[in-house]
Amino acid sequence: MFDKILIANRGEIALRVERACKELGVATVAVHSTADADAMHVRLADESVCIGAPPAKDSYLNIPAIVAACEITGADAVHPGYGFLAENARFAEILEEHDITFIGPSAEHVRLMGDKIQAKVAARVLGIPVVPGSGPVNSLDEARSFAREIGYPVLVKAAAGGGGRGMKLALEESQLEPALAAARNEARAAFGDPTVYLEKYLVHPRHIEVQVLADGQGNAIHLGERDCSLQRRHQKLWEEAPSPALNNSERARIGEIVANAMHELNYRGVGTVEFLYEGGEFYFIEMNTRLQVEHTITEMITGLDLVIEQIRIAAGAPLSLRQEDMRFDGHAIECRINAENPHTFRPSPGTITHFHPPGGLGVRVDSGAYAGYTIPPYYDSLIGKLIVHARTRNECLMRLKRALGEFVVDGIETTIPLFNALIAEPDIVDGNYDIHWLETYLSRLGNR
Amino acid sequence: MTKKEATFDKDLVRELAALLEETGLTEIEIEHEGKRVRVARGVNLTTTLTTDGGQSEARETAARPATEARPPQPRPDIVIHPGTVTSPMVGTAYRSPEPGAPPFVEVGTRVAAGQTLLIIEAMKTMNQIPSPRAGTVIAILVEDGQPVEYGEPLAVIEQR
Repeated sequence: MFDKILIANRGEIALRVERACKELGVATVAVHSTADADAMHVRLADESVCIGAPPAKDSYLNIPAIVAACEITGADAVHPGYGFLAENARFAEILEEHDITFIGPSAEHVRLMGDKIQAKVAARVLGIPVVPGSGPVNSLDEARSFAREIGYPVLVKAAAGGGGRGMKLALEESQLEPALAAARNEARAAFGDPTVYLEKYLVHPRHIEVQVLADGQGNAIHLGERDCSLQRRHQKLWEEAPSPALNNSERARIGEIVANAMHELNYRGVGTVEFLYEGGEFYFIEMNTRLQVEHTITEMITGLDLVIEQIRIAAGAPLSLRQEDMRFDGHAIECRINAENPHTFRPSPGTITHFHPPGGLGVRVDSGAYAGYTIPPYYDSLIGKLIVHARTRNECLMRLKRALGEFVVDGIETTIPLFNALIAEPDIVDGNYDIHWLETYLSRLGNR
Repeated sequence: MTKKEATFDKDLVRELAALLEETGLTEIEIEHEGKRVRVARGVNLTTTLTTDGGQSEARETAARPATEARPPQPRPDIVIHPGTVTSPMVGTAYRSPEPGAPPFVEVGTRVAAGQTLLIIEAMKTMNQIPSPRAGTVIAILVEDGQPVEYGEPLAVIEQR
């Protein structure tokens, strides 16, 4: 086991990692920018090092400063948290060159999954389902027969494309010819290359992701899924585990596919394979080679501390669990408490004048906030996560409602009122939502 | 590096120093929760910080008998001196170019702008820390081989 872990992050996740280190009896080093000198993760660490000025590039993304901080404190491992340097393969390599352990997967796997095109190729090779797509299509007949094979609607996309240009939707066969022509013309005009291909278009998908845990020594298991469909501009706001949309056999099927793929890849550490889910089928989006913000709900239903597992694996220990040991117990929901206006989502930095987190059975708050804390304007707006766990989804929703009612954060605006409103929505209560639901709901509110 | 025992409030001193500039006063003293901070300016570095709760008479009063010598004052107070050179990076400070060699500068050394004051090792790289101005070294605030944080005061150069 390590003697001393440096946590190359800030905010609630730095605190989360410190908690795991303390339970393992490992000393902690917090690093911080000058703007975070009073932060809770700095106060609660055994040692702290100021590594730079407030902008992230000068501090939390400053690799030389973080390595130097390891050297002067004698830290033998670095936990990167999420964001910042968590998926930076070069950082993992530099640490290795300095005989410091990167608590995460190999640099090679970080790099592979960081390249979204390569990642998709790798997923297909590993047997993970991806969105069906054609090679270049040269004629209408070719396009027609492929579209019939994968089913409508289909998207015609420019091979050289990006940013939505050269992309046309065909909802049914009669729309394929004009879509093909329009996409070709746009592709020629925009990219100088008229080559197009077809891809299946998902109309009302959910975002479902599978948590994996692997030791790089031949053992890989899945820890079930999380449903993160409630998003705004690709930012998750509410996550739950298990997904209200999956049954046990679907869960076991996709879990096994992912666990086998990670075994074949010889992956090490925690990771998340993200899918779009529609009509009973899963379609790979990407893999995150790190701890996720919403890892907490998986912890609640499995009873496992994912950060402790992550540290043990990085220290060379094999997995202590087999797939058949895993039990998924009850239901958990996480709400992200952001310092934002709950209607406009405009960031609301400032000083928290009063802070009262909820408590009671099955309620967990991961947060570095406290009364008198001033939220610096330089970083993201997440100030805490409210996580509730109960035996059933219904109990969980009632507990969430109760906990939201107890939560007091004064002095700044937060997303708490949004969650109070969501929990009264019949679609939310029924678990009947897709990745567009929240934006549709918000625009309906805005028009009222 | 900040160990948990350190409770010195650099920001407070900075704030008081700014107030000193703004008001044109030569001295400000405040007391809060048993800590007293006095910020003053003059030819000498007269800022003091004490935690001894009430017996902090002005140190400059010359009549103090030698037997009453107090423990050395904490040094971060010098951060308010306009000639303070702070560390641009995290690392280990060295006062001489190699072990056993004479130090780059000593207290009292006259330095030119750009002259190396010390080096900071970070990631096996030696970074020379130049003097930002010509003047005289009136304080060196780090020991040879001492770890330093970003922004930590290293030396004070007074312009002459």
